Amino acid sequence: MTVYPDDRAIQALKRYDQAEAYVSETVVNTVYIDDSKISNIETKTESGMMFRMAKDGKMGKSSVSLNAPGAVEDCLRMADTVLRYSPANSVFQGYAQPSQARISAPDVWDRRVEDITPDELRELAKALIGSCRVSIPRAQIRVSCTETRTVNSNGVDVGHRSTLVYGHFTSMTVKDHPGEGMETYHGSHLDLDPVRIGQELSRKAEAAAVCREFKGSEKLSMILPPSELGDMITSSVGSAVNGENCKYGRSLWKDSVGEEVASACLDIVDDPAVRAPLSCVFDDEGIPAERKPVIEGGVLKGFLKDTYCGGSTGNGMRRSSVEAQGAYERTPAIKPINLVVKPGRLTQDQIIEQTDSGILVEKFAWPEADELTGRFGLNVRCGYLIKKGEVVGTVNNALLMGNMLEAVKGVEAIGCDPVQMGVITVPTMSFSGTELVGN
Amino acid sequence: MMQQMVKAEQSQDVLCKAVERMQDMGAEFADARSQTIRNVGVSTMNGELRQLVQKSSGGVCVRAWIGGRWGYGTVTSFERDAVMRAAEDAVRNASGERKSDLELEPSAVRKHMAAQVRIHPDKVDMSEKIEAALDLDRAQAVDERVVNRMGAYSEEIKENFLVNSAGSDLGWEEVRTLCRAMSVAFDGSKMERYYDGPDSTLGYEVVRDADIEKIGRTAAEEAIKTLSATRAPSGNLTVISDPMVSGLLAHEAMGHASEGDEITKRRSFLTGAVGRKVASDIITMYDNGTVPGAHGSIPFDDEGTPSSCTKIIDRGVYSGYMHSLETASQLGCRPTGNGRAESFGKRAWVRMTNTYFGPGDWEKDDLIADTRHGILCDKMVNGMEDPVGGCFEAKCLRGFLIEDGEITRMLQSFTLTGKSVEILSSADALTKEVVLDGGMCGKGIEDWVRVSSGGPYMRARMIVGGGQ
Repeated sequence: MTVYPDDRAIQALKRYDQAEAYVSETVVNTVYIDDSKISNIETKTESGMMFRMAKDGKMGKSSVSLNAPGAVEDCLRMADTVLRYSPANSVFQGYAQPSQARISAPDVWDRRVEDITPDELRELAKALIGSCRVSIPRAQIRVSCTETRTVNSNGVDVGHRSTLVYGHFTSMTVKDHPGEGMETYHGSHLDLDPVRIGQELSRKAEAAAVCREFKGSEKLSMILPPSELGDMITSSVGSAVNGENCKYGRSLWKDSVGEEVASACLDIVDDPAVRAPLSCVFDDEGIPAERKPVIEGGVLKGFLKDTYCGGSTGNGMRRSSVEAQGAYERTPAIKPINLVVKPGRLTQDQIIEQTDSGILVEKFAWPEADELTGRFGLNVRCGYLIKKGEVVGTVNNALLMGNMLEAVKGVEAIGCDPVQMGVITVPTMSFSGTELVGN
Repeated sequence: MMQQMVKAEQSQDVLCKAVERMQDMGAEFADARSQTIRNVGVSTMNGELRQLVQKSSGGVCVRAWIGGRWGYGTVTSFERDAVMRAAEDAVRNASGERKSDLELEPSAVRKHMAAQVRIHPDKVDMSEKIEAALDLDRAQAVDERVVNRMGAYSEEIKENFLVNSAGSDLGWEEVRTLCRAMSVAFDGSKMERYYDGPDSTLGYEVVRDADIEKIGRTAAEEAIKTLSATRAPSGNLTVISDPMVSGLLAHEAMGHASEGDEITKRRSFLTGAVGRKVASDIITMYDNGTVPGAHGSIPFDDEGTPSSCTKIIDRGVYSGYMHSLETASQLGCRPTGNGRAESFGKRAWVRMTNTYFGPGDWEKDDLIADTRHGILCDKMVNGMEDPVGGCFEAKCLRGFLIEDGEITRMLQSFTLTGKSVEILSSADALTKEVVLDGGMCGKGIEDWVRVSSGGPYMRARMIVGGGQ
């Protein structure tokens, strides 16, 4: 694949004060497993374009899938209609200006993904099924190749090429009181180990099957492994450091740059140079991406921004860390490229040993904190209760309550086991000040 | 835009050829659907236009069924060669070792229909849509504590064409319109939000019939009031769910577990539950894709089966499941029109449409007055199903404490959980009016389809936990 905007779009760039054409082309292959059997395999090809422009303070924007010869004209005509109706905007400061790259190209292309065949996908799925002692009611392995190009009237002309591998797996014991396990895989390379995943799925489902319903309430420490912590941090901290949320008053950290917002042991950096799903030299608007400290020694260092927000940090993203399809349809929005939480030295077992009273959550119903307030009240599907450094029971059907923006001020331990979870690489961490409530 | 619609229609012939090609290559059943999706989105932020976008996407999805397995091919193209290549991909993907000898039993339907709307969004000038969003925003400017005002208008027009090897030849349009106001209030230390606005499978009449100024003002005033809310009590409590949260219960607690594919995989706690008592006698629950104007209504599902009404619980007794072509055949039932896909680019599997509890005979005020100690919910945030464990999770935007039959204070966001059957068995009162609320439903972690859920106010016992 070598994608480039159609000549008609390139010509149209000259008609406005500023304009941008973004094209993406994607090939996606997916194998689905239902009830421990391969149920279907998909091959999808997609190409599309978004055209944005500004003239006399007004802005226009449209996207189309490039499904027919007239699609480019359709896109330009629709964008022009939008421009005509749009009231003048005082916020917009212009699209990207040409700039030199600030990092060397990250390793985000895997030839094995490009060359994969349906038979190879089947083999991966079979290896997973064969290594799992329990049932796999639902799972999928999705591999994609994406090429994009951003060209604008300021002279920006940058391309990006990456592969994406995503896996989502569930498991279940088949007893009277079944237990359920879940695993995910996020990466740019086909480094997914189906045997290890099958074994973990078995372990998690068997652990969940012996859970007992938690009764009463208890204040305790919360230990979250990467699978549960990733989304908890991106939904709360990721939202609080979003420049647009800050600009429009929706971030509780909007006036906190230079202040302590977290424990001194916490360091978070947004790093586009490592091998991760969204890593890139230029963001999806053509701004050079670079390593940005977000929290250093517990102190808030700055916000992530795109061109609309102004002072872009190279975080205007259209691509998704999970789904390669649809990049061309998405208006650039501020997103971390890859938040990296600096790992500590403790193993998960050592964190448990130093916990007086806590719960290690193997699985929430859905790990998420409120993006505005940081609050959470989450159903624990499987958790290990810890007393004086030892696991004393496995519980479910309880609510774990707290506030993630407060929890990061009470970090008790950071593990040495970082895992890529979408747009974040995070280890196991322990936090004080949460409460568990049951029946 | 019209050009694309015409192209999708012309693709009907290409779809037929693709189905023939898949049959020639060995498909036991094959279907092909083309779709164009056109969207207009307007959103404002603190009085300025933040987003104004028109989108059009379209393509073809072809499926081949061989040996109990699907093969899919999807392209963003209506061109004959590209669709034929996708058809060949689909057959290749379905090939290999046979999974089963299951035969699908689709009915042959031939029908072409436009959406039943009073004012088609295509006939409304863009400037009016922009003004609607700006009016929603301006109406929120009631107090300086409202630090963030958002107004939004969106429309989606889907043109669908489907042919299959059983002889179906379908064309239908779906129109959905939505407007919404959301306010964020901040008092220097605490931040809260509130939202309001209608949604439907209707046309622009949704906006013209709405009191835009009132929607915006309500969002702002209620966000400010929520600043004084305190933490909800925790434990196993009496809860009166509002129609939105009742709907979330219907959707998350019982709806997902009633999807036919969860049953065939024995992943649902409701596997084999037909005829079993699962709720108190006052509970009746439906999934009904035919509710006029509701956000989840569809004339046909994405496999070409006409939409229908499935009674899931009948006066406390579990009654039946929702089906796609595949799960209906697996369980020897008729397909219920629940084989849905997010778009032409996604797979079709069993999904809900409009899921709700039927009404009772209480008035809301009497229900509150009759409650000695409990919580009244006000709006939902989101929820999560647990078909395996038979539990659920529902996050509420805010609520009210009821003491001795009276509302005594406002409560900030909290979460409800518990075992679905225990909760529904404890339900002892429902109000007379059923209200549906539109939203998006994902399965697993993706595949978002438009649904609605709802019910009356419902009183039951559940576990409550308030975040800090």
